[in-house]
Amino acid sequence: MSSTARSSGLSICPRCHKLNPAVSGRHRCSRCHAYFYQRKPKSIEYTIAWTIAALVMFIPANMLPIMVVTTLGETEASTILEGIAKFITLGMYPVAVIVFIASFIVPLAKILGLVILVMGVREGEGLKSKQRTRLYFLVEFLGPWSMLDVFVVTLMAAVVKLGFLTSIEAGAGITYFTLMVIFTMFAAESFDPRLLWDNKYRIPNRNE
Amino acid sequence: MSILTESSGQVLACPRCDTLAYSPRVHEGQKVLCHCCGSKIMAFKQNSIERTLALAVAGLIVALPAIFLPIIGVGFVGFYHQASLFDSILHLFDRGYWLIAFAVFLFTAAIPLIKLSGAFYLTWSIKRKRPKPALMKFFRSYHHLDSWTMLHVFVLGVVVSMYKLVDMADLSIGYGFAAFVFLQLCSTLVTVTLDHHYIWHYLEHHVDE
Repeated sequence: MSSTARSSGLSICPRCHKLNPAVSGRHRCSRCHAYFYQRKPKSIEYTIAWTIAALVMFIPANMLPIMVVTTLGETEASTILEGIAKFITLGMYPVAVIVFIASFIVPLAKILGLVILVMGVREGEGLKSKQRTRLYFLVEFLGPWSMLDVFVVTLMAAVVKLGFLTSIEAGAGITYFTLMVIFTMFAAESFDPRLLWDNKYRIPNRNE
Repeated sequence: MSILTESSGQVLACPRCDTLAYSPRVHEGQKVLCHCCGSKIMAFKQNSIERTLALAVAGLIVALPAIFLPIIGVGFVGFYHQASLFDSILHLFDRGYWLIAFAVFLFTAAIPLIKLSGAFYLTWSIKRKRPKPALMKFFRSYHHLDSWTMLHVFVLGVVVSMYKLVDMADLSIGYGFAAFVFLQLCSTLVTVTLDHHYIWHYLEHHVDE
């Protein structure tokens, strides 16, 4: 097992990646003068809190309509899943798949991934640490893609204003949807992937 | 561009898993990967400052047309309407969705612009050899801007909207869309060419506070 910065009495600055001598409590980077801690304080607690908040937002985001189409005086509101169903009935399968992945699968996958990561920290360093680090990469990468539907509605609502013929307005669901995306991104940012590699059974640090 | 070569043998730590590693002698175009978790620890990029400067200028030039020129337009029996990114944000604001309007404004206009101007200011100062202490403060928070830039998602959003609209009305694509794709390209390439390690190394040795 190779040595870590922590076991060698060093701390890496999260801003500029310079190694600083470890102290207990708050560090000040000798290069960029940023304040930081050896591990993000209360990382797991924050991650869990943001993940739960995102999961709560997921419910109204899918129950409430995100787009309201008015055609010749007739109003039709549709949720995300109804919008995808419409793509399928129109035979536009590739778009249906993209929208379904971006706005339904990705948010759930992110929330599930974060739960797996939080559980992984309890086990500490092991064979699965590498896979879990990859999972963290994936969760971070997927972050903004769920905003797809919000951008689609934003643009459509502004473009489609054809008098009495047809017009499109945004629905209440997009507020919750945006909040959900932002909360999952906060959750991913709160998580400290180094916790996946810390071995609880070893003496953690040599702080004086 | 050879600051790093003299300091080979320095100790690096992986920001993902905390493993220590001795940096090998790194040449331009090479990168150092963590032997424990496989994350990229550092990359020594080719002509990083010049390339980033050029791309940041290009991005800033297309930014205004990308935001204010119409992206797509729809027409149907005599009616015609088109909208730019700016119109879309204003429309949401008008309808009371101020939170969404603000979020869309941040992710697709404000943050990318701050990122490009920041990259321009950084590389210009280094190129002119006039780094200021404020650069350090700015660069400290710079890496956050990358994860909150959502231009690529917006481009895909435009494409999906086109699919939705194409059977509803006559669709036309505006110059705004072309400018937006260019803006997205420049923004992504700035992320690729900007060499954080080099810039930190440079600032450490050339800024005295």
